[in-house]
Amino acid sequence: MTERARDHLSAVPDPPPDAAALLRAVAQGDEPAFGRLYDLVAARVYGLIRRVLRDPAQAEEVTQEVMVEVWRTASRFDGTRGAATSWIFTIAHRRAVDRVRAEQASADRARKVGAASVDTPYDEVVDEVAGRLERQQVRRCLDDLTELQRQAVTLAYYRGHSYREVADLLGTPLPTVKSRMRDGLIRLRDCLGVEVASR
Amino acid sequence: MTTTDIHALVGAYALDAVDDVERAAFDRHVAECDTCRAELDELRETAARLADPAWSVPPPRLKTDVMAAIGRTGQLPPPAPAVAETPVGRGRRRLVAVAAAVLLAGGTGVAVYGVQEQRVEEQRRLAAVAAQQEARVRSILAAPDLVVRTAPVIGGGKVTVASSQLRDAGVVLMGADAAPSGGEVYQLWTLRGRNATSAGVLAAGQTTAVQVVDGLPDSDAVGVTAEPPGGSTAPTAPILSLVQLA
Repeated sequence: MTERARDHLSAVPDPPPDAAALLRAVAQGDEPAFGRLYDLVAARVYGLIRRVLRDPAQAEEVTQEVMVEVWRTASRFDGTRGAATSWIFTIAHRRAVDRVRAEQASADRARKVGAASVDTPYDEVVDEVAGRLERQQVRRCLDDLTELQRQAVTLAYYRGHSYREVADLLGTPLPTVKSRMRDGLIRLRDCLGVEVASR
Repeated sequence: MTTTDIHALVGAYALDAVDDVERAAFDRHVAECDTCRAELDELRETAARLADPAWSVPPPRLKTDVMAAIGRTGQLPPPAPAVAETPVGRGRRRLVAVAAAVLLAGGTGVAVYGVQEQRVEEQRRLAAVAAQQEARVRSILAAPDLVVRTAPVIGGGKVTVASSQLRDAGVVLMGADAAPSGGEVYQLWTLRGRNATSAGVLAAGQTTAVQVVDGLPDSDAVGVTAEPPGGSTAPTAPILSLVQLA
């Protein structure tokens, strides 16, 4: 909670646009609102997709698909189930993972998976730009996980691996990987102070 | 797969680390469980926070492209409750209807037996068993990963096998045009490698059956033979119907 409080304080001099309000306006067909929403989330949407796909050209393509999807389905956003930005990042991540799976299905999957390094993959991402509080906070909370929890969560999220692939990569039984993904996220949730409005 | 098993996927689901079949099963699971949905919402919200450090500024022309694209793209209206029926859904409903009809036919027989014997308690017990079996059949046929295969029966008719890895069970629907000749009865078998295991024996003159088989996805095939009344411990050639599963 301390972190959240600091986050709010630091935001006071220059309040960021409210993503949920923008998204509601977008659902009414408000194109300028969509432009502001784009400015608010594009760097994270593109960064995340590029991270998962590791190909800037494809990442641009998928980012465009995701942002058009946000425009098209804005009316389906349900504020009681999470934040507007999370809703957008969830769509982005899902699209990126779908693209990875489609690629892998057509390529030599085993070779690709074997070539993927099992080092701490989030480090490169975090180092792209340092400074903002949320990023530091996420990094600190990731560091707070056990090694296996962190590997399980980051290999799935930043590399787009399925839990079966993660189990293979880490040489860990499937039930263990499932559990580490769950308790790893629970620990992150508590560390980040994530709450959902409906609760 | 039990509810506990499927809920263990909540973390993997929130990280998009499940396959399509598991995703569908999990969607079904959270639709039926409010506390599970609450946990999922929180973990998904947490996973989305992992996008915060993945910060990379896209080329400016991307915004121009996106703005142009939305100008050409329509928007969905607020969610409507009606969901379009899929062909898979229709086929599945037909299968459930067939299974229910066969079970009902069995149930009628049970009722006649009960009235004749004036054993109301026994009738109730059998009706409860039949209702339980029907619920089980419906649950298996509703599995998101259901695979349905059929094969003809020599002498006319069809055997349908619907199996689900998630439920680790299957349903065998037998519908022969006629009972075997010479007073023999139909017997169902699951075949795995060189081993045949009885999956049920039909009564004399019985031509239809719905049989739930636990662990069916581990079998290679389902076979039907004609055997002496009461059945045999091993199948007698010829095999009258063979549904390959693998």
